[in-house]
Amino acid sequence: MPGGEAAQGCCDRCARAQVPERVGVTAGAGSPGTAAASRRRLLKAAVFPPREDPRSIPGGHPHPPGRPEPDGPHPAPEPPGSGFADAAQLPRAVSGTILDVSPQVLVVGSGSDEQRFTLTPDAAAWRGALLEPAALRQGDHVVVRLHPSSRQTADRIWANIGRVTGIITERRGSTLTVAEGATLAPRVITIQPRAVGRIQVRFPTLEPGYLVDIIGLRRDGVLDGMIPATSQPAYPANRLPAPSLVSGHVPDRISGSATWHEPGDEPPGVLGVCYPALDPEAGCAEDLVTGRAHGYARMPYLAIGSVLRVRNECTNLDCLLPVTGCAPVARLFNDRCVTCGTSPRGRIADLTMASFVALGGELDRGCFNATITIGE
Amino acid sequence: MLTAIREVQIPLIAALLLGGCTTKLLRTLRTGAVDQGLGPVALFPMRVRQPMAIVICVVECGLGVGLILTVGYGRGAPANYIRLGAGLLFLVATSALIELRATRPDVGCGCFGDFSTAPVSGRTLARSALLAVASLSTLGLHVARPGDNSGISAGELLIIMAAELIVLGALSPELGEGLIHLGYSEPCELRDVPADRTLAALRRGKHWRRHSGVIISDTPTDVWRELCWRYVVFPASYQGRSTEVVFAVFLQQRRPAVHAALVDAATGEPLPWPSAPPPSGRLGWRPRRPALWLPGGWDSTVRAVGAQPDLPFSREL
Repeated sequence: MPGGEAAQGCCDRCARAQVPERVGVTAGAGSPGTAAASRRRLLKAAVFPPREDPRSIPGGHPHPPGRPEPDGPHPAPEPPGSGFADAAQLPRAVSGTILDVSPQVLVVGSGSDEQRFTLTPDAAAWRGALLEPAALRQGDHVVVRLHPSSRQTADRIWANIGRVTGIITERRGSTLTVAEGATLAPRVITIQPRAVGRIQVRFPTLEPGYLVDIIGLRRDGVLDGMIPATSQPAYPANRLPAPSLVSGHVPDRISGSATWHEPGDEPPGVLGVCYPALDPEAGCAEDLVTGRAHGYARMPYLAIGSVLRVRNECTNLDCLLPVTGCAPVARLFNDRCVTCGTSPRGRIADLTMASFVALGGELDRGCFNATITIGE
Repeated sequence: MLTAIREVQIPLIAALLLGGCTTKLLRTLRTGAVDQGLGPVALFPMRVRQPMAIVICVVECGLGVGLILTVGYGRGAPANYIRLGAGLLFLVATSALIELRATRPDVGCGCFGDFSTAPVSGRTLARSALLAVASLSTLGLHVARPGDNSGISAGELLIIMAAELIVLGALSPELGEGLIHLGYSEPCELRDVPADRTLAALRRGKHWRRHSGVIISDTPTDVWRELCWRYVVFPASYQGRSTEVVFAVFLQQRRPAVHAALVDAATGEPLPWPSAPPPSGRLGWRPRRPALWLPGGWDSTVRAVGAQPDLPFSREL
């Protein structure tokens, strides 16, 4: 039976340290933004080195990051690499293809690796609907969340789950073509007949120019749309209302909705977050799809490599994640996450699947109420 | 006094109804769809959302105009019907908002179009209920015409109206949006500042002159921004070692604060600065009279502002 302490973040401490070659690896290792994240974090620490300060609070900073101190401007210092997963830590989410499954054991393969997980009676699976893990099939692509108390036990399994979030560019009957970004290939959603009513309640205008966010089953490059991930904004993407003005200082902690996206070009299993307000000077290529530099709500500007502490308010899990990309479509939404209460604002983070799952999110729910802390 | 309070309700409610109708129309013109984001309309089946949105808008407009036109006929049937209609409208709206809050907590009330996007709150409900009571309180009221001796002064009416406006303002989430526009100054974290401007400000500053001697290219190898700071990295060479100079520039227009560090290009580890600025740099460092001139000249000025050569970084404003 599982034993040990529950994890409090994206990763578990691996007592056996089975991955010695990964010395220096950080969360998000292997992702496009990892090198930039590590390098920039190091250089920033060189300019603003860590220092002892009696006013410091545990896990916090004596001054609001990025704002002038009484004796001069100075952002919050941060030790490079602190809080990231290190060589002895492994993500709590695993993805791969089912090689074998029985009522007690799940075998998942990824490349040449093969991992075996124990299935407890509490383990649950999803493939379009909740089902017994034993009902999963060989060849299903799965994302597995490991049990907090044991890395050999599967807690939750999602099979063939996919999500399309973007702007409808074409509609033919129940088939939608959706643009997710200028550099990404168009995605196709086929809305299943039994899900039409459910989806149209939340997305009444399935016409070109409007936003859509649908979760379903991935099949041969097409998403069988089954679940509306949110409610459709009232406005088409090209008529975004002017963002609300923000007065005073921007708070260090911002609460809102955290969503997830499919890996795309990212390596599977990467821990990271796409942030909806990258510095316009950074030239997010995906901006081209919307033609807008600002989203529905203003958020402080960050860059690839900035570090956020993301906290799941529904599970109280949190961890540091590097910004690995921009989220040009997420910032067009003005939805609220209602997983546990109503989030005070819309999308503040678009997590990779591994990050979302590891923080306790349920992929089939689409979001969790989150708080991000900038500058730690 | 009670009569004066009742009298004030009619123009206030008429103005609110017409305001609500106008903002909904403006939203419709902007979005191109009449039923989009109109609060309680989201409770209806899709096929009736658009007709319901039109009906609500027309009813609001009709009641607002009707309240004004019948203001002098308080004891007549038309005036009472209009006022009763307004009261019922707000009663129904209150009930609908309670239902909306329970079933669709993410949807705004839509009362004033684009201004009412915040989720329905207790304040929104209280405002709607208050307006229902206010509307029903005007039933049977005969509003005195100018010249009538009603015993109510214009000053009293104004004070009552101002007090009620304050109450309504406190109950209106939409008001915060308007107040923010007054005296607004964009926080530096949100300010759009082109990288070219940051680079120009950096090159005008003394940090650039002081450290340009080790910089081997005026093209930065990396530029990124985090909150109020933009970081600029230049390749450098120091004692035959491949290094980088990292500048952090505060994003403000005039005399931005600058911090700098010299790091090893391979490891990113901080290195000590050269003990004295080189006499002439590749990028044109030229000694000149510093802005803050102290006895002892340049060196003492450097010491005074804190550039300590034995430290791997400098912290100067």
